[in-house]
Amino acid sequence: MSHDRKTKPERLLPEDALLAVEKLQGTADVVIGIPSYNNARTIGHVVRAAQAGLAKYYPQLKAVIINSDGGSTDGTRESVVASKLEDSQLLFLNTPMFPVHRLSLPYHGIPGKGSAFRLVFQLAERLGAKACAVVDSDLRSITPEWFDLLLRPVLHAGFDFVAPYYHRHKFDGTITNSIVYPLTRALYGLRVRQPIGGDFGMSSRLFSRYLESNDWETDTARYGIDIWMTTIAIAEGYRVCQSFLGAKLHDAKDPGADLSDMLHQVVGSVFMLMQDYERVWKARAASEDVDLFGFRFGVGLDPITINVDRMLKAFRLGCHDLGEIWERALQPDTHAAVLRMGQDSSRGAPFHMEDELWVRIIMDFAVSYKRQPVERGYLLRSLTPLYLARVASFVSEVENLISEEVEQRIEQLCICFEHLKPDLIARWDNAPSPSGIVGRESEKTQEKPASTVSLEV
Amino acid sequence: MNIFERVIKETIERISSQFSANAPGLLTGILIVLLAYFLARLTRWLISRIFKGITFDRFLRRSGLLSMLNQSGRVRTVEIVANAAFWLILLGGVVTGISAFDTQITSQITTTVIFISPKLIAAAVILVAGFWLGRYLSRHILVWAVNEAIPAGRRLALAVRILVVFVAVAAAADHLNFARNVFLAAFILVVGGIVLSASLALGLYGKEVLHRCLQEKPDKTQEKEEMSIWRHI
Repeated sequence: MSHDRKTKPERLLPEDALLAVEKLQGTADVVIGIPSYNNARTIGHVVRAAQAGLAKYYPQLKAVIINSDGGSTDGTRESVVASKLEDSQLLFLNTPMFPVHRLSLPYHGIPGKGSAFRLVFQLAERLGAKACAVVDSDLRSITPEWFDLLLRPVLHAGFDFVAPYYHRHKFDGTITNSIVYPLTRALYGLRVRQPIGGDFGMSSRLFSRYLESNDWETDTARYGIDIWMTTIAIAEGYRVCQSFLGAKLHDAKDPGADLSDMLHQVVGSVFMLMQDYERVWKARAASEDVDLFGFRFGVGLDPITINVDRMLKAFRLGCHDLGEIWERALQPDTHAAVLRMGQDSSRGAPFHMEDELWVRIIMDFAVSYKRQPVERGYLLRSLTPLYLARVASFVSEVENLISEEVEQRIEQLCICFEHLKPDLIARWDNAPSPSGIVGRESEKTQEKPASTVSLEV
Repeated sequence: MNIFERVIKETIERISSQFSANAPGLLTGILIVLLAYFLARLTRWLISRIFKGITFDRFLRRSGLLSMLNQSGRVRTVEIVANAAFWLILLGGVVTGISAFDTQITSQITTTVIFISPKLIAAAVILVAGFWLGRYLSRHILVWAVNEAIPAGRRLALAVRILVVFVAVAAAADHLNFARNVFLAAFILVVGGIVLSASLALGLYGKEVLHRCLQEKPDKTQEKEEMSIWRHI
């Protein structure tokens, strides 16, 4: 984190945004936010889907689509303004409806998705919106129904935060499946399956809370925004639910994306939030399901090919070169186990990383992030080879499994995280490991049924 | 009075005159050194008791200075600060004690120490900064190289570290006006050597690499194998 989080958040809107708000005569019921950076190829489809969704499901509400752009040079902003859905394309309209306004504005501050969201939330607050939904600008699989699924629980059922729930390929979402979902679930006790999904709905109460935060100049401004939003909603007791959106397919192009940076920002945000909400997560044991809305259906998914050898090569290189930092970040037995795995892998033995070892690695890194035996950026970036090793192990393990079996496998990992949580708390507090508590806690982690809530979507 | 008695008497007179001339300075010097010693001990004790190193430890740990001072990173920084204060005060006491003799030589020593101290401190700061920067850069280059799957990452990081430390040593020596020409020549040789090696490497192998790059079509299979970054999220 490269910023003083004590400074007061800046809530003033840029001048161009103020002018745009004035043109809209000051109010809107619903705001759709779309962050972008060089997404001219795909953003038109997303904007049209949003227009169709609003026209179809909320013709009686005043809605604004806001594209918050990071300085695109490929005509992204022009695409947004030009993307207009003709009435003739909609077969269901006789109802008089409000026009859906489209705005495309450049955001200020650290380049990243979080800064883009900040401008969206500022505008939504200024316009007095009751609900806001944010979606990625490079989605190929987005449909008008997504907007209804993200907004309806807020507008009609009193929820504050709607997280997405997708069908994904078994090799997809590896940071989510191996770190963010199990860790968030174990810490805060709610089973939000896609905490960094990127497409969310939220109430005015919640986005106003986000704007009050001092975190906008940290990794939150970048890839950390998704987990930051989800964690605040869960940890501060806002009403959280999930909506089934179908498949999530991104554009293959990823401008300027780097795995190590992404992992650093996402995991760094999780660890930063662990410090902020220490009292909350220490007090919570076990986990429970979250209400899930939407009609679940099977979808076809793009195949994913993964080069496991390349991942293992990166891990072996890490074992060879990053021993110094791992030695400080990991507990001696964990470190020894990691090095043994590296040696076995070099000898060509079948590679497998036990769940418990992986959980201990993540927990050790979380504690090291707090204690800082080494600089945090260096610490977090050194996690990449270990993460790749975990992905390689997982991919090899689930290669021949169907998606339900893979989900069971992820569930096992989550339970392992929950079982070892007392150890994490002990290490966090520098106390001796609570042997025996693990067993008792495991009994608490039995399935808790989701509360049955009916909602027409 | 025979000659023998006169010699004895003159010797005693000379000794007493030398003693009366130098004893006050010697005693003053010893007293000052003793006072400085007790003051230094008191300061060290106070620093250890009052600060306990909490804030300073955290700062040094975050900045990486702590791990530079000690590989294990377990050195208590308050001890370092307290000992540094002890030795500084003691050194100041010794210099003041020497100056109490008020002779030409002691004045010269005192002047030299006073004159050279700021330069020594500045040189030490340059060295510490150089070592810290070298370590910081080498660590980040190492992690970057590992994450980019560059096999010679460790050697690259070490080379960067050596280069940065060498520049710091040259700058410190230059500041102290110590073997300026030797360090300058060595620096030019090192930088010139690096440039020459890079040029030779580019000249000998660059053509071949360029030729290969132009001939090879983009490897679609490899592109397919590369997992999209979004797949991780």
